[in-house]
Amino acid sequence: MERNALAIYLAAIALFMMGTFATIILPFFDKEMMTPTANAEARKYDPDSPEAKGRQVYIANGCNTCHTQVVRPVKADLAMNIGPVSVPGDYVNDRPHLFGSNRTGPDLMWVGARTSKEWNLEHLKDPQKIVPGSIMPKYDYLSDEDLNNLVAYLMSLKPAPVK
Amino acid sequence: MLSNAPFSTAKNFWYTSLFWLIVSMLAGLVVAIKQIDPNFLYFQGQDALNFALTYAHIRIIHTNGILLAWLSMAMVGAMFYMIPKLTRTPLWSERLGNLTCLIWNLAIAAAVVVICMGYSSGVEYAELPLVLDLGVVVLCVLMSVNLFMTIAKRQEKQLYVSIWYFVGSLIWLPLVYTVGNIPSSIVGGAAQANMNWFYGHNVLGLWFTTVGIGQIYYLLPKLTGKPLYSHKLSLIGFWTIATIYVWNGPHHLVNGPIPVWLMKAGIIPSVLLIIPVWTVLANVFGTMRGVWHKVAEDVNMKFLVTAAIFYLMACLQGPFQAMMQVSAVVKFTHWVVGHAHMAPFAAFSFVCFVTIYYAIPRLTGRNIYSKALMNWHYYFSVIGFLMFAFTLWIAGVIQGFAWMEGTPFMETINTVRSLIVWRAVGGTMMIVGQFFFVFNLWKTVKVGTKFASDEESVVA
Repeated sequence: MERNALAIYLAAIALFMMGTFATIILPFFDKEMMTPTANAEARKYDPDSPEAKGRQVYIANGCNTCHTQVVRPVKADLAMNIGPVSVPGDYVNDRPHLFGSNRTGPDLMWVGARTSKEWNLEHLKDPQKIVPGSIMPKYDYLSDEDLNNLVAYLMSLKPAPVK
Repeated sequence: MLSNAPFSTAKNFWYTSLFWLIVSMLAGLVVAIKQIDPNFLYFQGQDALNFALTYAHIRIIHTNGILLAWLSMAMVGAMFYMIPKLTRTPLWSERLGNLTCLIWNLAIAAAVVVICMGYSSGVEYAELPLVLDLGVVVLCVLMSVNLFMTIAKRQEKQLYVSIWYFVGSLIWLPLVYTVGNIPSSIVGGAAQANMNWFYGHNVLGLWFTTVGIGQIYYLLPKLTGKPLYSHKLSLIGFWTIATIYVWNGPHHLVNGPIPVWLMKAGIIPSVLLIIPVWTVLANVFGTMRGVWHKVAEDVNMKFLVTAAIFYLMACLQGPFQAMMQVSAVVKFTHWVVGHAHMAPFAAFSFVCFVTIYYAIPRLTGRNIYSKALMNWHYYFSVIGFLMFAFTLWIAGVIQGFAWMEGTPFMETINTVRSLIVWRAVGGTMMIVGQFFFVFNLWKTVKVGTKFASDEESVVA
């Protein structure tokens, strides 16, 4: 094998495929992963709705860089009182997913349940005015339309009513 | 511009990667300062400019710039240098190589523009829009064809272990990149997050790590003048990485919204990664036996040994924080940011520095201009990084435990505020070190003294 580049090549692909099958393909066959919950239905926005457009504003401005949308069943998340633990099914209609990987700012999974429309609008325009010492940038450079859509999206982030 | 001169591709990749190194690191500094003062680079009334320069855009330029521009291009340069050397065969086509380099630079420049305009896919580390993703795939093909043809036409039949690592990396990169960048319209939700971290982790494990190790195994015998301690050990390392690494993605979502079996499928291989990292360390220390005194004289050896140690540390810290209990404290805090810089900067950027310092005199016929500047580069990089990383690790632990006590979020920000300032100071030192590096190389190429070749000339 030390003289055969093709053999190395094929073995490398085969080993790669094993791991890919287990960690990427198999999850697609997991019901827990793929079955939409009521929360997922509530986040299935009509493409022309303010919420859908607001989500695009959220992505274009990279809000997910500093804010997660994940509540874990761990002491930190329970103590911070940021809402119910999120499950895989809650995200089925999230395209793209907006998990985030860093809480430079608080989690936003259920932010709509603990803030108001007016608060969010004022806060986006001038975070330091509403939360002294905040390190969030100002988003007053956005158009009123973008801001209103973004607020509509944020306010939609709340647990679906129990039927 | 599309020169056919021997090794012009390697040189052009390195020279342009230095530009992106400075740009990307400065972007990192801007992000660090914005975390201290959110109004930094905010211009009242300049809406379009404020949008372009918003925190997230600069951070995306920082991460993608370091990974896809500086580090990838430096590593591609290394392969365009080392593969012809190891196979005793001229590169299949320098002209194609230089064309690849040109397109690569244009693609990165285009990426900076579209990210500033807000066209992000929204998926971390895979933010580039689909058009540019396809560009990356084309680049992978152009680069691989060139290198594989060189290997196929080789004079030296024996394939040294570095080539194993390079061949593996060249085949894994396009596969990893494809999984991570499948459009969100096709998959979404938790399954996509899982694919996101498959990419985020494996681009490190099956591209930067493996090309980096290939370089270490090339450089060690050259710098020490001794043969590699154990060829067998290096092959064990190769096959364990090939088997284990690809499984690691889900450990980024530990405790998160994915099934528990998937978390475990990610955590267990993370711990097993100690095997390949151990083989590298054993080989470095084994080869170093009897020649440790060289570390005192040779800055390249300092960089290389330090890189190996940081690689080990990154691979001990990684599995540690992949544990559910540890993850529950440090995840989402500053800790992870500190960890995320260790392998790309303190391990594999250091390896690339050595490669460039080693190769440039042999390609230009000029000695490195100043050993003192090399030392400054080393100490600023190492001390700057330690300051940067330890402040983030401390801040992360403080945050993690404060969150567990239900401390109001704003209060936790205030607690770590001074640490975040020190992080920026450490980061500034890291960047200053790179200015020494670039200046030194520039002077080398312009006015370096004549370098007496120490190796047989390669058929060109």
